[in-house]
Amino acid sequence: MNLTSSPSKAGAASRYVFEATGLIKDFDDGQVHALRGVDLQIEDGEFVAIVGPSGSGKTTLLQMLGALDRPSEGTLKYRGESLLDLPDPAAYRAHEIGFVFQAFHLLPTFTASENVQIPMFEDHKSRAERQERALELLKAVGLEERVNHYPAKLSGGERQRVAIARSLANSPSVLLADEPTGNLDSESANHVLDLLRSLHADRRMTLILVTHDMSIAACAQRAIQMKDGCAVFDGDPAKLSIHRIA
Amino acid sequence: MTFLDVIIRGLKRRPLRTGLTLLGISVGIAAVVALIGLSRGLVTSWTAGMRQRGTEIVVSNFRGSLTPKPFPAFTRDRIANLPGVAATCTILVDLMGIENAELMIVSGREWGCFAWENLKLVSGRMPNDQNEHAVVLGTNAADILKKKIGDTVQIETEELTVVGIANGGAFVENGSVILPLPLLQQITGNHDQISAIDVRVTPGMNDAGIRHLCDEMNKLIPEGHAEPAGEHIASSEGYRVINAMSWGTSLLAILVGVLGVTNTMLMSVFERKQEIAVLLALGWRPSRIVRMILWESALLGFLGGIIGVLLGIIGVQLLKMAPALRGMLEPDLRTNLMLEAIAIAVFVGVLSGLYPAWRSSRVAPSLALHG
Ligand SMILES: Nc1ncnc2c1ncn2[C@@H]1O[C@H](COP(=O)(O)OP(=O)(O)OP(=O)(O)O)[C@@H](O)[C@H]1O
Ligand SMILES: [Mg+2]
Repeated sequence: MNLTSSPSKAGAASRYVFEATGLIKDFDDGQVHALRGVDLQIEDGEFVAIVGPSGSGKTTLLQMLGALDRPSEGTLKYRGESLLDLPDPAAYRAHEIGFVFQAFHLLPTFTASENVQIPMFEDHKSRAERQERALELLKAVGLEERVNHYPAKLSGGERQRVAIARSLANSPSVLLADEPTGNLDSESANHVLDLLRSLHADRRMTLILVTHDMSIAACAQRAIQMKDGCAVFDGDPAKLSIHRIA
Repeated sequence: MTFLDVIIRGLKRRPLRTGLTLLGISVGIAAVVALIGLSRGLVTSWTAGMRQRGTEIVVSNFRGSLTPKPFPAFTRDRIANLPGVAATCTILVDLMGIENAELMIVSGREWGCFAWENLKLVSGRMPNDQNEHAVVLGTNAADILKKKIGDTVQIETEELTVVGIANGGAFVENGSVILPLPLLQQITGNHDQISAIDVRVTPGMNDAGIRHLCDEMNKLIPEGHAEPAGEHIASSEGYRVINAMSWGTSLLAILVGVLGVTNTMLMSVFERKQEIAVLLALGWRPSRIVRMILWESALLGFLGGIIGVLLGIIGVQLLKMAPALRGMLEPDLRTNLMLEAIAIAVFVGVLSGLYPAWRSSRVAPSLALHG
């Protein structure tokens, strides 16, 4: 696999999308241990929920997977290739990974369509192609009526759907979502969750979702429970016992 | 949406701040246009005046002083017979306050020489001879002094009659008070002294020939300096001082603009840190972020440059009306200067964006999730 020239979506050199061994992340010169040796394999097309109390390292783990930061120690592979010596991390983030944030992070001075087009600047699309693709994606998330709306004119749920459309801009194979429903009321949350589930089901995307919400975790095929920077449970979400959470 | 739209949106985000920053740069650029336009106007106006008089070479003595120093009139005899010299005209020029006008060009011209030929009478007549106590006013000079034929003009202690009003074909000529040389020498106490010799060369002589002739003259006249007309102004001490002061003032104003743009762009990068991190998380390369910041500040510079040029043109029109400058020079506001000013503004923009852009390239993408 070569991350720079031919994205790996076609042929997989490894059966795992992500493979981490002994993943450690320290902050503040080793005073804060955010991850203390995480071992993890995630298969192509899996829907994994990551749960755990605040400060347990969920977001930090997501950052490592998305190559937003480097681990202090350990190995981390994406489809068999080390993420630690990526020749072009930007290309990896642009083409392999889609990010969805709790706070949406839409750009306020851009319309829904324009926000969706932002990642496409790194993808050699023409202006018309970008526009067309944005429209197609906004249709896919049910927002064809909101194409030219600015974020301020959209509800929270609509904003997150725009953000999801944006994460799909360059057709990544993996979605990393950090509490995507954390800022939403339950109705919008359900809508967003349904959308993410259908992306996983219909597009065969690997979906890794951090959540505090047990009912959301229950939708996943697999749950990983974090505690003090370690993965203390990895398995069927149904077997997550309530006392282990929060 | 194009990348340019992204850049424009970035500036529109904070319209007030962007507006104030634009004002900051544009003041600097306006200073460039106004001051440099005026000082270059000095050269172009005087050169145009020379051209109207048909003068190709000027012998003068600007050395070490702001205004030309008088030198003996007999200097002319040493160069008048050089091969290539067609005609000469001795002139005494002075800048004086006349009545209510603070500074007027007073030009005493050798009687009967070619420097009178370009004066086209609009009304009245030429002096009858070089001893008549009479002056001819350029059309602008007549306006400034509010004189008509038959009025008197007080120059130093002497009262002279306005006998003619003439169009000299160039701004400086029209702003001048013109009288026969001996009269001005007498009024100013510069007996047998002149401040310039206008030289006409034989028709058809090229620039190289003119330069060569200047060199020949300079070997013969230690008290003066021969130069092609126009260059004698550009190389004069006075012009250099004016030019240096204009640039000095402009550069100070530009420096203020640089600090303004740097500050604005730096604030903009700081307050958009998380947004930049999000863009990085979405796959933008750090180089694209750097380009975005540099383009934003270049665009600030460009727009500031355009506004500055407009302000400068307005400023120049006001400065031109200043009593000390009226009738003395026409500002040189050719497109060249405008383009230079806008180029300076864009350069200022890019320069000011360098440090903020560098800062933007150091934003950690992890900030997108860990805000
Ligand atoms: N940049 C940083 N500098 C210092 N410490 C950090 C940094 N980022 C995270 N940490 C620390 O690392 C630990 C794990 O943080 P992380 O954000 O991964 O937790 P989390 O499980 O996502 O928590 P939450 O549910 O509150 O989002 C915390 O103790 C946090 O304070
Ligand atoms: Mg978190």
